[in-house]
Amino acid sequence: MKRVVISGIGAVTPVGSGRTNLWEALLEGRSGIRPVSSFDTAGYPVHIGAEVPDFDAAEHMRRIAPECLGRASQFAIAAARMAIGDAGIELDQFNKRRVGVCLGTTSGEPLMVEAYNNLRKEGNVDAVPAGVFSRYPCHVIASHVAIELGVQGPCLMIPTACAAGNFAIGHAYDLLRTGRADLVLAGGADAFSRITYMGFARLGAIAPERCQPFDRNRKGMVPGEGAALLAMEEMEAAKARGATIYAEVLGYGVSCDAHHMTAAHPKGDGAVRAMTMALKDSGVSAGEIDYISAHGTGTPTNDRVESLAVRTLFGANAGRVPISSIKSMLGHTMAAASAIEAAACAMAIHTGWIPPTMNYSEPDPECDLDYVPNRPRETHPRVVLNNSYAFGGINASLCLARAENGAAGRSIQ
Amino acid sequence: MKTRIAVTGAGVVSPIGSGLPAFAEALFAGKCAFGPSALLPAAPITAEVRDFQPQQWLGTKGIRMLDRSSRLLCVATHLALESAKLATADEGADPEIGLVCGTLFGSVHSIAAFDWSGLVDGTNYVNPMEFPNTVINSPAGQAAIRYRLGGVNSTICAGLASGLYAIHYAAESLRFGRALTVLAGGVEELCKETIRGFQRTGLDAGAHDALPFDPASGGLVPGEGSTLLVLENSETASARGVTPMMEISGFGACHSACELGSFQLTAEAATAAIEEALSDANVTPGEIGCIVASASGNRPGDVMEERALRNVFNGRLGAIPVCAPKAAYGESMGAAGAFAALIAGLSLQAQCLPPTAGFRGSGTRLRLSGERQPLAGDYALVNAFSCDGNNAALVVKRWQ
Repeated sequence: MKRVVISGIGAVTPVGSGRTNLWEALLEGRSGIRPVSSFDTAGYPVHIGAEVPDFDAAEHMRRIAPECLGRASQFAIAAARMAIGDAGIELDQFNKRRVGVCLGTTSGEPLMVEAYNNLRKEGNVDAVPAGVFSRYPCHVIASHVAIELGVQGPCLMIPTACAAGNFAIGHAYDLLRTGRADLVLAGGADAFSRITYMGFARLGAIAPERCQPFDRNRKGMVPGEGAALLAMEEMEAAKARGATIYAEVLGYGVSCDAHHMTAAHPKGDGAVRAMTMALKDSGVSAGEIDYISAHGTGTPTNDRVESLAVRTLFGANAGRVPISSIKSMLGHTMAAASAIEAAACAMAIHTGWIPPTMNYSEPDPECDLDYVPNRPRETHPRVVLNNSYAFGGINASLCLARAENGAAGRSIQ
Repeated sequence: MKTRIAVTGAGVVSPIGSGLPAFAEALFAGKCAFGPSALLPAAPITAEVRDFQPQQWLGTKGIRMLDRSSRLLCVATHLALESAKLATADEGADPEIGLVCGTLFGSVHSIAAFDWSGLVDGTNYVNPMEFPNTVINSPAGQAAIRYRLGGVNSTICAGLASGLYAIHYAAESLRFGRALTVLAGGVEELCKETIRGFQRTGLDAGAHDALPFDPASGGLVPGEGSTLLVLENSETASARGVTPMMEISGFGACHSACELGSFQLTAEAATAAIEEALSDANVTPGEIGCIVASASGNRPGDVMEERALRNVFNGRLGAIPVCAPKAAYGESMGAAGAFAALIAGLSLQAQCLPPTAGFRGSGTRLRLSGERQPLAGDYALVNAFSCDGNNAALVVKRWQ
């Protein structure tokens, strides 16, 4: 099996775009949560969201015209271009048949459904342009990235809702470690949509003012949008071209609660199994984990169950592992979330700093871990875990580490 | 040496019949399910799962909130577990059984209906219970809950190639020990939105004939259904004492990356996908005994596929029997690859390829037939080529 590293990071997020802007914002604790601007929220009891401000797709697209694409595809292409630039990759130096695209999404291109229904409401369903249909199904997001970049390797979407970024990065790791590809652009993308907003609002899951994960007074999540794509490649090839290696991918674990479509298993059964599988796949023990990037949506249930799952796995040592949720700043960017969080994990390993959980003021007896409240911390983590959970009761945990020769704790297969 | 991946059963819900015996009988009899749409009265011809009665398998409890995709997938799951003689957990979740589901349009009808309810009823009157159905992975989640499948649960979207990508993903999950058994395949529902989409994009055959590989074909016939194969490591299968029907030998994928929404008529990428699948399976083109084609009657795709097959098999192509089963059950999109892989397995077992329904012998030099064709060989090639430029191919082997 080959070793696989993250050598480039591209991101379009509510707090800023590109690796440097994103990371600075996260360490400064800047929030991307604002009043919703893309549609009128007058009919809702809540009004905040985490939209990407001032996004200009044309800046990033060289081959496809932006107006031919939905917003999630535009985000994905922008993040792909940034990841490649950040990695210092010249695509001409790669065999294009061995460059893949593997992305997660929750909703694909939901704005196409909105456009369809808007015309239908006006009595004009026969006037819906053909492009609304052809740009809708989510596989086109990955295809658009492949076409824009001219890359011809495995190309797929893994639409596993809010855990999809981790699923996609995990599968990209499989494609690389088995030698099926030399470079994979992996991550997630989602566009802000009234459909998602309405769904979470009707579930009563949206916080009215701010996102405060793990705080006793937390009132919910905040829907968001964005994309993050990682350039992932085989370690020796990355070293040979002199790439900056942010982190090594050690392994991942997935599971399904098979319990409820929207509610987590009360004991975090699936979450524990996903983390356990990730550790086993990575060849590390729980004691070696230096930081956990939480799913940490800010809903009362998620944060309580996730804390319980971590405590179940880490036992008496659970309180010694720092765990934080950057959703406190970014909101919940759906499938982009775990991809952005994986990028943050890689940056934590690379810079030595772990990002904080913002808006944390009052401890909750049911969430009794070290949540890195309100300030970043310099801890030089070596091995980190990235958790993500989703509708359908599915769980995915990804394990990243500092790329070392014969890395500690790793038994290479 | 790679672990051998065995297929030990299958569940199928299709326009020509549901359950493996009924499906196989209809397929080998040359049955065709094309007819007027019951879902959208103004639509011309579709291939729908007519008179679909999920209660027959699922009972009545809890099915009211399941959308059509979820119902189709739950029935396929039920049939697949039964076919492979697999018991499910009595309580809790079985961490050793996973589900990987390919789809193209996913839950589009549920999404559109949910949004529509917000538009016409008002956002405060929308039923929040219907929100979970809007995520693209909801059928896989619903099936996991109903059958207590606690292992890897993933949904794969790669256009018309989704089903084959899902099978490869499942095989990798087994190789990496993420589960002992993975149900893999796809689901696609027909609904007003997809039927309209086919009409508006001009892919639909409309009033014309849909004839795979025939220059006179007017387009494709939209179809639906679900197929799941039961994948296990060969050791798991033999420990359970079940005899597999086939082995998953190799997978290849290549995106043409040329233009938005078009088939690459030079077929370079489709050719590369087939060659990679052969090489992954460690077989030569000469060892392929039959081909289950992707062709749907949509001319650009059919022309591309014929060219790709010619590129790979050259002069020998005329000797290899080919079947284009979408002539029987239409373009089942995200499920198509799984249907085709199942047919390859059934054909290798029978050493006989099903007829291509309606084939009238014109305009192609491929060895297609309106009758069953005997075949000789242990390997079959399965194609799933997508109009977004994505191409996947799978090589399967008769179980020995």
